[in-house]
Amino acid sequence: MAAPLTLLLIVAVTIRAVLFRSSLAELISERVEVVSPLNAWKRVVEGLALLDLGVSPYSGDVFHETPLMIYLFHFTVDYAEIVFMVSPYFVDCLSCLLASLDRAKIFRKQKYALESDRYPADCLELLRSPKEMFYIPLKVAMFYLLNPFTILSCVAKSTCGLNNAIIALFIFCTLKGSALLSGILLALATYQSIYPLTLFAPALLFFLQRLYIPVNLRRSSFWCFTLQYAFIYVGSLVVITGLSFFLLGSWDFIPSVYGFIFSVPDLTPNIGLFWYFFAEMFEHFRLFFICVFQINVFFYTIPLSIKLKEHPVFLIFMQIAIISIFKSYPTVGDVALYMAFLPAWSHLYRFLRNIFLVSCVLLACSALFPVLWHLWIYAGSANSNFYYAITLLFNFGQTFLIIRPLTRRRKHPGGFDNEVSCFKSSVWKSSLKS
Amino acid sequence: MSHDFLQMHLKAVISCLLIFLYKVHTTKAGQFFSSGHTNNWAVLVCTSRFWFNYRHVANTLSVYRSVKRLGIPDSHIVLMLADDMACNYRNPKPATVFSHKNMELNVYGDDVEVDYRGYEVTVENFLRVLTGRLPPSTPRSKRLLSDDRSNILIYLTGHGGNGFLKFQDSEEISNMELADAFEQMWQKRRYNELLFIIDTCQGASMYERFYSPNLMALASSQVGEDSLSHQPDLAIGVHLMDKYTFYLLEFLEEVHPASQANMNDLFKVCPQSQCVSTPGHRTDLFQRDPGSVLITDFFGSVRKVEITKDTINLTSPVEPPIQRSGSGDIQIESLTYVDQLPVAEIIHQKPKQKDWHPPDGFILGLWTLILLVFFQTYGIKHLKHIF
Repeated sequence: MAAPLTLLLIVAVTIRAVLFRSSLAELISERVEVVSPLNAWKRVVEGLALLDLGVSPYSGDVFHETPLMIYLFHFTVDYAEIVFMVSPYFVDCLSCLLASLDRAKIFRKQKYALESDRYPADCLELLRSPKEMFYIPLKVAMFYLLNPFTILSCVAKSTCGLNNAIIALFIFCTLKGSALLSGILLALATYQSIYPLTLFAPALLFFLQRLYIPVNLRRSSFWCFTLQYAFIYVGSLVVITGLSFFLLGSWDFIPSVYGFIFSVPDLTPNIGLFWYFFAEMFEHFRLFFICVFQINVFFYTIPLSIKLKEHPVFLIFMQIAIISIFKSYPTVGDVALYMAFLPAWSHLYRFLRNIFLVSCVLLACSALFPVLWHLWIYAGSANSNFYYAITLLFNFGQTFLIIRPLTRRRKHPGGFDNEVSCFKSSVWKSSLKS
Repeated sequence: MSHDFLQMHLKAVISCLLIFLYKVHTTKAGQFFSSGHTNNWAVLVCTSRFWFNYRHVANTLSVYRSVKRLGIPDSHIVLMLADDMACNYRNPKPATVFSHKNMELNVYGDDVEVDYRGYEVTVENFLRVLTGRLPPSTPRSKRLLSDDRSNILIYLTGHGGNGFLKFQDSEEISNMELADAFEQMWQKRRYNELLFIIDTCQGASMYERFYSPNLMALASSQVGEDSLSHQPDLAIGVHLMDKYTFYLLEFLEEVHPASQANMNDLFKVCPQSQCVSTPGHRTDLFQRDPGSVLITDFFGSVRKVEITKDTINLTSPVEPPIQRSGSGDIQIESLTYVDQLPVAEIIHQKPKQKDWHPPDGFILGLWTLILLVFFQTYGIKHLKHIF
């Protein structure tokens, strides 16, 4: 495992190094699909320059990074390329590790279930052979490192890579079982962009499952642990926010970062759904629709948590995917993060009916984004509707990509102890046959 | 001895006479010295194209005609016309641009010199002419070569709105840009006094942002009002002039190089009863009293000449200048230009820009927390490996 991984790392480093040095780097760092006002490197440099001139970097609408990012980049702005090359490896190594952790758990459960002869025959094809599962971490690593989206995001030096690294660290600590670190890292991820707040529920569910505390609202042990975890989370969030205040001595960063994320003032086109809608919105209705769109991101947490309370890892994946589709300024870096986890559920692929369609849609949209942008902005022969159509299609494809495993997961959970659902699925199949 | 006495006596008489003359013509002398300009320039711009905007070209050419008639030579006029009406294929009377019904006044004439024509009339070129930032290859006829003793007349006409003026149907200049251009001119000492006339809809909005000294502005309509055109000509088929410029032209036809008409008369041109819109003016940035400013200070090129039949002995010591009494004349407070070359700062090196450093308390706090979390997670026992 070490050798293929090292080879993969070398290949990824080479690709990124080549692209960094080529003239494509500037081209990529200006693409709206890859950078957004929240994580553009150009803006980070601008903000740091303002700071050197003695002006608050949050004055004017240029800089929307958090103060801890300022602290980080203050020292590494000259070595930015190295920082951005390192962060994907973070994500990759962590996802590798967590995939292997996942794998270990799955192995145990499967072995146990097999031995107790619990699975009906039909479900055998769902079981993953050890050999197959051996390669899942490598596949996850490959999916992340060699994903063109990640490469683009890295070459553009978008801070999305760092945000992904923090989320990956958080998932890693959660799977390792350290509630303290997990809470702190979740607070850090939420501090960066607010949406990882929705990951609180799956992390909590994971810990409860791990500590064998039943999710029963009447049990005191449930509340005990929940309060502990919530305390760690909220406490570290408060501490981090307080520290940020002390960095610059003012609360400017709150409207600049969080106000910006929530109120979406910048309507530069991106691969998300907000810009087109709000470009045409009358002022009268703007607040209402901002609320609607933002609630849409957080809304799926509760129903999904109820449905998937026995599969918190899958829930984490779902939440990350929902965040990256419905957040206010998505970029391809966010898309790359959840795509990296797809191999972990590779056993569901054979049941996805629309894999070909979905992958064609995603590929075609990725190819059409720059084409229609050029037609719209430079050639003048298209307009924003063309670009938004492709955005819509891309998000639709992504939604399809994540919903299908969800429905299939419900029906064929394979791996965790859900023999009931497996039974149901076999009943369904037999009913089809008859 | 008597010869010297006679000479001295003669000198005394002459000086007394001069002083007497000066005292008699105090107001005239006051005016003589008060305007402070030595040359005149005019920048006349028509910003709209297409045949139906004939009247804007006719407006500009009327002012051009008056300004030339009153003495400003072509070399000191920058005429920018966005379209060619005289040779337009829809013009039933080619090579003419009329400003009156019944073909009474052809303002095109035989000797019109258009400096910027057609598509050369852009916001960029206009601002470059004003500020003087033209490429070295620009010919003199296209440059505004004014200095700090120049009085400049700037006339704009076209289609405008609240805060902007449309150029060529494709771009616009805003009132702030114009104000900044004038400030650049002031800083670069490109004018002594400037008269700004604009004949567009909502023209008053274009001068409300001016902030440089020695500017006087007139507009044909207030914000929210439209400037209307005067009279259509059935033979040519379009409106020939705008109301405001029509009455302005009528007024200027009465002015001759020696006329004493002043700005207050100009402000009265085209009241609301005639113009439907309310002309506006702005004099708060102007140093002199408008009543003492002659029309010919801006529209003409009147050289200040005093003809005397007395001989003046240039070798004798010059009489000390007359202290102007404050009777009737407003004291002109001399306006200093901005100190553009602060030598003291230039000689010494600029201090190196201090880089920002995060405060120490922050670094301390952050790393303490990180260490705390680290030891909490991995236990104190690791400490013994470190130390």
